[in-house]
Amino acid sequence: MSANVKLFSLAPVGWKFPADRDGLIFTPGQFFLVGRWGVGEAPFGGASSPFEKGSIEIGVRKAGNVTAALHQLARGDEMTIRGPYGNGYPLDFFKGKDVVMVTGGCGIPPIATLIEYIIARRELFGRVYLLYGALTPDDLLFEERYKHWEKHIKVILTVDKPTPDWKGHIGLVSELTREIKIDPVNTATAMCGPGPMAAALENILRPLGIADRRIFVSEERKMSCGIGKCQHCTTGDKYVCTDGPVFYYDQVQSNWD
Amino acid sequence: MPRVISKNHIPNLLIHLKKSHDVFAPMEKEGEVVFGNVEDPTKVLLNYKTTLLPPKIYFLPPEEELFKVTNGRVQEEQLNNKFVVFGLSRKDLEAIVYLDQIMNKKPADTFYLNRRRAVTLIGVSEEEVGVPPGGDLILEKISDRYYRTLALTKKGKKIADLEFFEEKEINHKAKSHEATSKLDQILLDSELIARAIEWSRENYRQIWEHLGRVCLGCGICTYVCPLCYCTSTEDKTSFDQTVCSRCRKWDACTLPGFAKIAGGHNFRPTQAARYFNWFYHKFVRAYKEFGRAQCVACHRCQRYCPAGIDIEKVLEEIINAFQKAEPERKF
Amino acid sequence: MVSGVEPKPKLAIFDFTDCEGCEVALVSLREKLLDLAGEIEIVNWRLAQRRADEGPYDVVLIEGTPITQEEIDTLKFLREQTKILVGLGSCATLAGIPGIIDKESRGFWYKKIYGEKYKPRGIDALPLTAYVKVNYLIHGCPVEKKEVVRVMEELLAGKAPKPRGYSVCFECKLAGNPCRLLAKKICLGPITQGGCGAICISGGSPCYGCFGLRDSAQIDNLLHTLYKFSDSPEVEQYFSMFLKKTPEYARLFKRPRVKNGKT
Repeated sequence: MSANVKLFSLAPVGWKFPADRDGLIFTPGQFFLVGRWGVGEAPFGGASSPFEKGSIEIGVRKAGNVTAALHQLARGDEMTIRGPYGNGYPLDFFKGKDVVMVTGGCGIPPIATLIEYIIARRELFGRVYLLYGALTPDDLLFEERYKHWEKHIKVILTVDKPTPDWKGHIGLVSELTREIKIDPVNTATAMCGPGPMAAALENILRPLGIADRRIFVSEERKMSCGIGKCQHCTTGDKYVCTDGPVFYYDQVQSNWD
Repeated sequence: MPRVISKNHIPNLLIHLKKSHDVFAPMEKEGEVVFGNVEDPTKVLLNYKTTLLPPKIYFLPPEEELFKVTNGRVQEEQLNNKFVVFGLSRKDLEAIVYLDQIMNKKPADTFYLNRRRAVTLIGVSEEEVGVPPGGDLILEKISDRYYRTLALTKKGKKIADLEFFEEKEINHKAKSHEATSKLDQILLDSELIARAIEWSRENYRQIWEHLGRVCLGCGICTYVCPLCYCTSTEDKTSFDQTVCSRCRKWDACTLPGFAKIAGGHNFRPTQAARYFNWFYHKFVRAYKEFGRAQCVACHRCQRYCPAGIDIEKVLEEIINAFQKAEPERKF
Repeated sequence: MVSGVEPKPKLAIFDFTDCEGCEVALVSLREKLLDLAGEIEIVNWRLAQRRADEGPYDVVLIEGTPITQEEIDTLKFLREQTKILVGLGSCATLAGIPGIIDKESRGFWYKKIYGEKYKPRGIDALPLTAYVKVNYLIHGCPVEKKEVVRVMEELLAGKAPKPRGYSVCFECKLAGNPCRLLAKKICLGPITQGGCGAICISGGSPCYGCFGLRDSAQIDNLLHTLYKFSDSPEVEQYFSMFLKKTPEYARLFKRPRVKNGKT
């Protein structure tokens, strides 16, 4: 996908991922613990269409031993997967509303799967925007899906350091407010990504008049057991693995760690 | 008539149990009391303060292999032997019952539960038990010679039916419960502790900053705690890559890497933040999750902290400061 | 994964100034060493075999630390010859025992032992990391066999071994040892990386930190505890055993030199 992010498709051999009665094999925003025997596991948000029963896609940024080992795999190699874990975005709340999705860099996977969901159920949503920023055009992931997305939703891309052939926006995601026309009291917002996103929030969503309770943020922590026991992913009084990873913005704000 | 066992028969009981079970019990080691595999039943201690490590070592071992993969074939860990933990104190039994509740909470920790199912817990109390906290069988000392049985489960009943026990009327009563510690008293009000700790994070920072300069970050308080259950997993592979295993190991939230994510960001970068989290989990997060502080006042963390941090004094100070700053509202 | 067709990774083991105790620990891996030899080719190991191939290598283990310019040059050469360079034992990883002595006392002993005419060649012992990039440090005086096995397993699995994130105290508590600090005896266990199995403390000795400082070790906090029952010179002695060439030691104990009564 980019210099240090690879997209993996995990397909079970001889069976399919089980779907719930809405046909979803996971809720956008939920995560999986994916790994290799002998190396370990790490948490990844599902990135593919949640209706796709044959495989689950995840975006893997090379950061530690597990992700480095995954990067070395070839087509057909075995991986371990367990999940889905966590709550995911509150899809029912999103229905019937305008949707603004804001993310940066490699925070896109859970948003990508949410987009796939929205497109599959397009009639249930109002105006839908994706605001996606990255350092360089190469760091914008899922490039191959933009054409498809743009047919159904408004995709606004921005980079800090453009290449000569870059035609999108330059600068912070937060400068894209002008592009957005929504009904703030009937809007749901999905965000994913660390620190810089908070600034994006201050500068985009607040000026647009969107209340904190309508903003859902997917948090990143060191999810390890996935079942609310091992304590690695706690933030304040919450477990990111079982209470999250998607929180109201005001919940995130009240957490100090 | 109560069923009792004479003190002299206890070693015989242990020898009998050893025929069909591994039996673990408290014994002395260089001035410390530690749980160990019973070889000589006469070495088993019935009257002791606390063991160094709590009995959780048998249900949540310091290191356990969860899965083994041999040439691609995955095998979940198998428990072959049923075992007995003998000589548990009331507080340790209380902690086990709470840990059961934690691990049973959905989604449950099946590895822990498997071990719990394989064990028979036998408590020994030198003083009156009162409401039995849990376990399968408790031996309550009622005279210099006799222990009365309190069988709490079928497993416990089966043991109490063995020939080492007899029906006997004893005209003695168990020694009444010794005065409770200050910590026991503080723990009666989990809600107050939770509110005070939560308040202290911003309003009584000085204590956390101070403790951040005292705490050695060695993790001992969490290892000796019967209600700490942080773990990490670690995979291993044989040289020839044909055998790999996924192991689970004790971790400690007071260690620096505990909240570090891949890529390096640390959500708790200071010792003060990590030490606060230890308290926060025990007394606030636990209270919100289970309605009760995760502490049974076993005093191990006080006794074994090499820096001399005294949880009882810390709690007392915070609660006092909290009550002074925010006097109880009268409705 | 290493299949039968691919050539086995080439391992070479070299040593500089040290007691060779860590290589002895390697030899005493016995069956494990044979298992290891089945997966890698030990192409150069002066202590244990005749075969002494020249580089390039895949993995080089270096025991001991250089104390002459020639040894430093050799170290730099080996760095170029290998993909992965691993320090074996505290002499390599921390400067260890050779690191205790400094220039002044060395001068004194040279004179006393070799006489006035002796021309000293030695320089201060420093850890390997002072000269070259090292991929992993297997600490210990001597190394703990389990840690050697872990590191080799991880390297063979293509993982980058990571230092233990816990202190010696973890394994010390598992061993059921009474705490030395509580007995008012100096111990560096809380600030020292685990992995050693707390072997010294179990045997009645203090921990001198031969496994190196743990990540974010709370050294100042430990001193606060130590100074309750000991004093700075005594504490310094413990730190100077293995940690003398660490920046932390320099920060804590190196006082500005006194010249003509002035600092």
